[in-house]
Amino acid sequence: MVSGNLFRRTWAAERVRLSLVMIALAIWGFLLPVVYATFGSEMGALASNPAFANVFDVMSRFTGGDVFSISGTVALGLVHPIALALVAIAVIGFAAGAVAGERQRGTLEVLLARPLERRALYATLLVAMLLFAALAEVAILAGIVAGAALFGVAAGLRTIDLALCWLNGVALFGALGAVALAASVSFDRVAPAMGIALGVTIVGYAVDFLGTLWPNAAWLLPISPFRYFEPTRILAGTFDPLDMLVLAALFAAAVGWAAWIFPRRDLAAPS
Amino acid sequence: MDAIATEGLTKHYGSKWPSLRRVPGPGPVRALDDLTIVVRTGEIFGFLGPNGAGKSTAIRLLLGYLHPTAGAAHVLGLDVATAGAHLRGRIGYLPGGIALYAGLTGVQLLDYLAAFYVRPPSLRADLVERLELSRRDLGRPIRDYSRGMRQKIGIVQALQHDPELAILDEPSEGLDPLMQRAFYAILDERKAAGRTVFFSSHVLSEVERVCDRVAIIRAGRLVALERVGALLARRRRHVEARLDAPAPALIAALAGLPGITSLEARDDRLAFGLDGDVVALLRLLEGVPLADLTIEPARLEDAFLELYDEPARAEPPW
Repeated sequence: MVSGNLFRRTWAAERVRLSLVMIALAIWGFLLPVVYATFGSEMGALASNPAFANVFDVMSRFTGGDVFSISGTVALGLVHPIALALVAIAVIGFAAGAVAGERQRGTLEVLLARPLERRALYATLLVAMLLFAALAEVAILAGIVAGAALFGVAAGLRTIDLALCWLNGVALFGALGAVALAASVSFDRVAPAMGIALGVTIVGYAVDFLGTLWPNAAWLLPISPFRYFEPTRILAGTFDPLDMLVLAALFAAAVGWAAWIFPRRDLAAPS
Repeated sequence: MDAIATEGLTKHYGSKWPSLRRVPGPGPVRALDDLTIVVRTGEIFGFLGPNGAGKSTAIRLLLGYLHPTAGAAHVLGLDVATAGAHLRGRIGYLPGGIALYAGLTGVQLLDYLAAFYVRPPSLRADLVERLELSRRDLGRPIRDYSRGMRQKIGIVQALQHDPELAILDEPSEGLDPLMQRAFYAILDERKAAGRTVFFSSHVLSEVERVCDRVAIIRAGRLVALERVGALLARRRRHVEARLDAPAPALIAALAGLPGITSLEARDDRLAFGLDGDVVALLRLLEGVPLADLTIEPARLEDAFLELYDEPARAEPPW
């Protein structure tokens, strides 16, 4: 079902962008334990001051983590908008252009003239997208663990929690990437596919942001995929496995749509 | 087994319901209507029509890129609707105005595309040599290629795995006359090897040169399907004769000969059109004091234009 030849070509085409993103994510992850080790205790004391407690609470909710504890540092590394944007470049950027880009450039018809089923093409790109998501999340966690180990603050980190955080991140970006890939197989041009992919991601993030900070909008939270990305709860030991199932359901729905529509749609001559 | 057999193959774009139409208009766009053709194994088959006649739609239906509105197509004995990748492993395809991966070098592209097939690219070395693609050319990125070079690489990728059927859409586009000649020789060898070539073009001289049979489509409909020779034999030739002496009896006899049209006689010169067989004319000219005789060969272009000059058939109701 998966084409090794297409997979190798996809990897070769994406490896530079993916490598740059992974390096940026690793540096990002590495810096957070450094900040925690350097300023964490002072910042923690400041945060516990009743005069600033509310401000720090809002800030930590906004960023999804903090640098007052090693678990808060890990959570911050994973859910901060900088990290999310970097992973999105590697995963959603790739997925949205994967088929629509080939179609727009006219190379899809050269590719599909080979003995390659459309479903095999889709499955190969889906596997590549999941691999990119997995590697991007590994890069952040590797940076965090390296930074924490180097600065002697790794004692509070449990491997199982880190593995769950990784899995939760892969599930989030796997689901968003599957939506992007479903959009990509549905359109002849990159712009509408990218628009849908970024729309779902940005609106999802905005809804999560709004619902977290504004109690009156909290009812919106369940519709955001980001609501189910919970490193803070994983590290606190209060993770709800249902979160993972919701992301898996979104992934399955997007894959189901793509697997249904792609073999059935007409691929007219490029205009 | 026929290489290609279509039965009532039809493709309409768009919806019958105006509110669902992307492009405003009176109804669905009829890109191809009721196409029934048979391409025999081992022949070079020309598929003619001007831009927008439905050639590319027909090809895309044969390759499974489009799904027919009605009818069916069998390629190499397999139903296109269900055969899928297995069938495409036996076909070579050159799209019109081919787009290639600009970042790859020529050899990387050929390796990449060949790796999808079970068959090895056994013809590559020969094709590359005959189309004068040097090792240096193949080592350059495709983004640096001229249009002609891209077309050559397109031809190589379509034929390198020795496909049983080659579907070529405007294959000589961008090739210089020398390369066109080399390409025609390659097609002749494909035919000699028992392979089939389905050849779409609007360059009529090359179709006349290489094809055994032609189908001509107009506004999505088949208007002619026959051997090139038969099509030409039925077409009008232009004849000019110069006589040593006036021959009024000859003019009268010519006027009564079937197939003679637009007869003009001036002094010692005669000019007329001749449809069909030349044998009757030559018999008539026996014994006539001729100073010169010119019979221009019938050209496919004339046949093509004649078919396109005929009024379109009645449109079906929608």
